[in-house]
Amino acid sequence: MRAVATATAPAFTRRLARSRVRRWAGSGLTYLGLAAALVFFLGPFFWIVTTSLKGNEDFFSFPPRWIPLEPSLAHYERLFTKASGLRYFGNSLLVSTLSMFAALVVSLPTAYSIARWRFGGGALSTVLLVLRMLPAIALIIPVYLMYRAFGLTNSYLGLILLYTVVYIPFAVWLLVGFLRDFPVEIEEAALIDGCTRLKALIRVVVPIIAPGLAVVALFAFIATWNEFLFAVVLTGIETKTMMVLVTSFTSGGTDMFYGEASASVVLGVLPAFAVAFALQRYLVKGLALGGTKG
Amino acid sequence: MKRFWVLVAAVAVVAGFVVAAEVPLGGRTAGAARPYEGTTIRAVVNAEYVKYSLSLVEKDLYDKLGIKLDIEVIPLDAFVAKTLLEFNGGKSPWDLVMFGPSNMPDYGRHFEPLEPWISKLKLDFQMDDIPDVYKKLMLRHNQKIVSMPYDGDIHIMFWNKVAFERPENKKKFKAKYGRDLAPPQTFKQWDELAEFFNGWGWDGSDKKLFGAGASYKPSSSGYSYHWWRARFFAYGGMYFDQNMKPLINGPAAVRALEEMVRTMPYYPPGVLLFESEEPKTLLIKGEVPMLYSWTSTGKRVGNPSESVIAGKAGFGIVPGAEIDGKVIHRPALTPGRAMAVSIYSQKKEATMKVLEFISLPEQSLKIVMDPKTIMDPWRISHLRADKFRKAFPGAGEYLDAIEKSFPYVVPDPVIPGANEYQRKLSFEITEALAKRKSPKDALDSAAVEWEKITDRRGREKQRGMWGEKLHEMKQVGIEYQPDWAAKAK
Repeated sequence: MRAVATATAPAFTRRLARSRVRRWAGSGLTYLGLAAALVFFLGPFFWIVTTSLKGNEDFFSFPPRWIPLEPSLAHYERLFTKASGLRYFGNSLLVSTLSMFAALVVSLPTAYSIARWRFGGGALSTVLLVLRMLPAIALIIPVYLMYRAFGLTNSYLGLILLYTVVYIPFAVWLLVGFLRDFPVEIEEAALIDGCTRLKALIRVVVPIIAPGLAVVALFAFIATWNEFLFAVVLTGIETKTMMVLVTSFTSGGTDMFYGEASASVVLGVLPAFAVAFALQRYLVKGLALGGTKG
Repeated sequence: MKRFWVLVAAVAVVAGFVVAAEVPLGGRTAGAARPYEGTTIRAVVNAEYVKYSLSLVEKDLYDKLGIKLDIEVIPLDAFVAKTLLEFNGGKSPWDLVMFGPSNMPDYGRHFEPLEPWISKLKLDFQMDDIPDVYKKLMLRHNQKIVSMPYDGDIHIMFWNKVAFERPENKKKFKAKYGRDLAPPQTFKQWDELAEFFNGWGWDGSDKKLFGAGASYKPSSSGYSYHWWRARFFAYGGMYFDQNMKPLINGPAAVRALEEMVRTMPYYPPGVLLFESEEPKTLLIKGEVPMLYSWTSTGKRVGNPSESVIAGKAGFGIVPGAEIDGKVIHRPALTPGRAMAVSIYSQKKEATMKVLEFISLPEQSLKIVMDPKTIMDPWRISHLRADKFRKAFPGAGEYLDAIEKSFPYVVPDPVIPGANEYQRKLSFEITEALAKRKSPKDALDSAAVEWEKITDRRGREKQRGMWGEKLHEMKQVGIEYQPDWAAKAK
């Protein structure tokens, strides 16, 4: 017995050691993979951020200067003072925020009526989704002509209206899923307690499906912030958005404005990043919630 | 006391005279100095650096005319589509319009002819100071002048003198090729030099440097096409015959492309993706010994804060071909930029004054001299301006090279759809350079595409427009020479 125990102990230890090594190797490879993915995805952004803080002489220095010796906000300053950056940043913020709220305000009752009373039959939500599948390039000329006829080009109202209409189908489709998941009994209890439909929707349903609304808001905000095609065609000097400014710096043959171009990219990304960060606690929950039905 | 009141009265009278004299005088002075005070002109340009270039003259413009500029930037890739969308709808939100002169056939009818305004407002665009090639080929629509140059945009050649003047290099070159090491006059010499310099430290270092620089990306600007056509025209090529049959797959075209394919190994890796700035950077960092490119390169070459070849650079005309003992040069006049007044503008008079002002020799000199603008000189006086010639070491030689090149430059095919023709050709040229097609197959494909574009745009209309351009090109000495491809050395 003792001999057996003595014989098995080293084998067990060896197995344990092997398993530990395997586990460490597994973890090591996982972390290595994650690190590689991080470098791959965040590397370009890191480069853009540092370039926006570098002096002109460092853009092409060899070996590359990863971290600027004397970081400066001069490119940001020039972006705001010389290139209408402040105006376009403000325009993007205004249009994205208002489009986001407008999309929420319109899509919530639409989704509610589809989820509760099958408004429009089963086809409406599908038709809405099909509308979303139309590529923007197919719409741009007719939209432009219509807008010009109505005097909506180069206006905030025109942009907000368009983005709201464009994002409503997706928002409705997402919210219908959340609302169908929502236990109708809670809503009925509220009605029995004396709430009207509208009050029940606002005071009972909305707080519970808040994660779903956050997802819709986030998608609407980011999509509007990053949208380029409609923005470049339908805007004028007064209403240009940040993405158009970014492209004005990054397209066309000179490297003399890399600093301003990088600063515009950083500023172009930050608000969407901030909104995503602010809403992140709802995001995973909201995505999981809406995923069960739809 | 009486005396006091007399004194007060006298002072009051004098003061009154002074005030009376000063106020209207001041008012008149301001009025005369700023006759358009309170006017804002809306301009449209295609990049932030063009907006920056206008900022160099904005203060003087306001001080002199009282006019402010509100400048819209539409990114390059969307510029033509967006501006033509506005114009073709019969109006425009802009008074002053920047455009690529190659697209004149598409834009021209939306621009106000300048001549009536020249007489009416006594404008002076100083046309004698503008090279013929712009005046005759780039500024007109239906024989009327409708625009002024803003960016010269021609190619010249740059070289690193270190590579050509090191005694070891001279000896080595002479031993291998049997002639003296010197900057190339012909493309045959260029190719030999690229072969010679490639793969070793011709600057005395132990680095493996490259043979030459180029931009071969097939983007909408058609880089590979611009680099190909300097050879193509030097070998006698032409875009179309008088019946709109493409000549871009003939012997001159094929020879030019075959040479480029054969010499690909002497260029830096990634050259197929290079736009304008990458080879310029390689040149100023001392990694390629020679490059032909836009003239704005010279301002970077001469800037000691970024260029290791400042004061050690040579400048000359783009190589050509030796035909019957004479070297024929055909450098590219690439799209460039011009400015015009929109026919839909409600402020045509003030806009004409702005166009005159920004085109004045002293104002436009500020724009073309500034190294950040990449705007190229286009007036003879720019090239001879003392200030510019002393701007950096070698600036005089650089400006002389531009002036020598002007008589030989060849423009794009300035007919409707010029961009489409260029894009298709550039794509096929890069296909050959990437060895996905043979040069002949690639150019045959491009010719087929050109025929399709011509048919889609209307063959008769295109033939009419091209006939005019052929005539204008002939006037500046550019003609189809079918026998040169075989003769060219």
